[in-house]
Amino acid sequence: MAEIVLENLGHSYLSDPKDEADFALKPVNLTWQDGKTYALLGPSGCGKTTMLNIISGIVAPSHGRLLFDRQDVTQTPTVERNIAQVFQFPVIYSTKTVRQNLAFPLECRGVAPVRIKARVAEVATLLDLDYALDMPARRLSADQKQLISLGRGLVREDVSAILLDEPLTVIDPQMKFMLRRKLREINRETGMTMILVTHDQSEAMSFADEIVVMKDGLLQQSGTPGELFSRPQNDFVGYFIGSPPMNMITLETRDGVLGTDALDLTKNLTVGTAGSRHQLGIRPEHVSLVAANAENIGLGKIKKIEHLGVDGVVTLQLATGVLIKAKTRKHVEMSVGQTLGVNVLTDDALLYIEGSLALAQ
Amino acid sequence: MLSSKHFFLLPAFLTLVAIILFPLLFTIRVSFSSWDVFQSGLDYIGGKNYGRVFADERFWKSLGRLSLLSLISVSLQYTLGFALALAVWKQVRGGRFLRVLFLIPMMTTPVVMSVIWRTVFHESLGPANDILGMFGVGAVPWLSSATGAFISVLIVEVWQWTPFMFLLLLAGLVSLPREPYLAAAIDGAGTWRTFWQVTFPLMAPITIGALIIRLIEASKIMDTVYVLTSGGPGTATETSSYYIYIRGLRDFQIGYSAALSLVYLVIMIVSLTVIAKLLLRLLVGKVG
Repeated sequence: MAEIVLENLGHSYLSDPKDEADFALKPVNLTWQDGKTYALLGPSGCGKTTMLNIISGIVAPSHGRLLFDRQDVTQTPTVERNIAQVFQFPVIYSTKTVRQNLAFPLECRGVAPVRIKARVAEVATLLDLDYALDMPARRLSADQKQLISLGRGLVREDVSAILLDEPLTVIDPQMKFMLRRKLREINRETGMTMILVTHDQSEAMSFADEIVVMKDGLLQQSGTPGELFSRPQNDFVGYFIGSPPMNMITLETRDGVLGTDALDLTKNLTVGTAGSRHQLGIRPEHVSLVAANAENIGLGKIKKIEHLGVDGVVTLQLATGVLIKAKTRKHVEMSVGQTLGVNVLTDDALLYIEGSLALAQ
Repeated sequence: MLSSKHFFLLPAFLTLVAIILFPLLFTIRVSFSSWDVFQSGLDYIGGKNYGRVFADERFWKSLGRLSLLSLISVSLQYTLGFALALAVWKQVRGGRFLRVLFLIPMMTTPVVMSVIWRTVFHESLGPANDILGMFGVGAVPWLSSATGAFISVLIVEVWQWTPFMFLLLLAGLVSLPREPYLAAAIDGAGTWRTFWQVTFPLMAPITIGALIIRLIEASKIMDTVYVLTSGGPGTATETSSYYIYIRGLRDFQIGYSAALSLVYLVIMIVSLTVIAKLLLRLLVGKVG
């Protein structure tokens, strides 16, 4: 088992990077603790796969160091790292049976046949693949094939971390759920560190103890799913985590006090540097709707109602013309054109200055 | 039933009739006639021509020779083509130049190349024996001995068609996904294991396609034999198509050569289908 430390680690595919924009992964400091599950989350091309490939040794970083248990492995070849990786598309050795597939990494490392047999049996039980051991691997379904890919990592006794590069993309939604649960189970049983790369926030939220959000090769925020949801460090995280994204309402400075005509805020908001962009971030989940004549901090006219099964997303136009979204279950008696009262708890309204969360909160 | 839209099929249908259907049906009809130099015309002699085909030892021997030649030459072409493709696949210095160079044999006319090779193999004047002589090897009867002539035809075939295999297999290699190789590297597989467990199975569909295309082409071998050895010495390099050519266009036994052609066609269709199925089962593991 190992603790993985990224020390000022960055990578540019150019031989002579001139400025920040030339980096696929901008230098970052991160520590992945032993035995935890992590998710690397971000839009396509944000550098998450580059980071994963650096950890597995497929890509050698142009800057910084990579440490496994305080040992520098930056230049160590893939084979010698205690890392297994599962790719987006299931990789199986198509001419081999499931058993032979699982045994392959051990055979390559010259492990004794008796030991191989025992390990394969153990891993097959863990993955519920016992019944399929003697079947040709190519006959299995996509999710079972993905389990074999995972199994080839688990079977090795030297593996301390499993890197999962969007492994659930090609899996059916129902199987996706099962496989994700299976991964968590394996993490609990084996204590292996797991790092999942994904662009699906719900996948990241339900899988990981800690999520690392990235954009344009730059780390945006790292924290538990709860932290990312309730305290997004910047407007990108607020936008990327949560569905629908966080409401961002522009504030104006009047007599040294921040405010907006759209909502009557009781909150005392400190003004940052004069002339900077001040915004109020409110999660749609934190916007509650009441009748127009009940106590409220602003009135809004319903523009659109989207039904998402149990919940609904209501888009309201506030007094100033600003739109705000509310995620609510009380959409039964609502209709487009109706005016409702809006309420937001003081603690749920976050101040962003130039896109970054104001520290005073 | 027949509406105006079907008339749009007419040009294609007429072309098909003209170039495939009519010649085929006409050949079938001719094969039941005794059309030759003495008797030109479509009489009807029943299955006599077919009876003669089954008793014609020279035809069956030429078919056996053809099978041997095709199997050996196509296997060699595949092995060499794959080796060359693997060599050029990974970025090699001057790879682009080599790629063009490898394709030259395929682009030249078989007859022209056969003439050049005949000169190369010439026993007293050709450079082949000259070069061997430098290493102390005596004159090899390239074209005048049965084995020598067979090997000569084989060499020319391999020389000419390896580039085709090379091209198909290289195209296949270039389009292979990257992940299986990364996975194999992480699993700790060396070069040899990676080739047999990753590259070879991934290349199976292309392998089957390439082998079948080449087998079909190789079974029609005619020009090389015609120019290089004329089927000789004796009948040592006579292949089926060359034998049919002799019977049909040299002896003018039109009816008999039509029967030979049809028997040959049926054998080819059946055997190539069987070979394709076997290859599928062997390489991809598909049943049926």
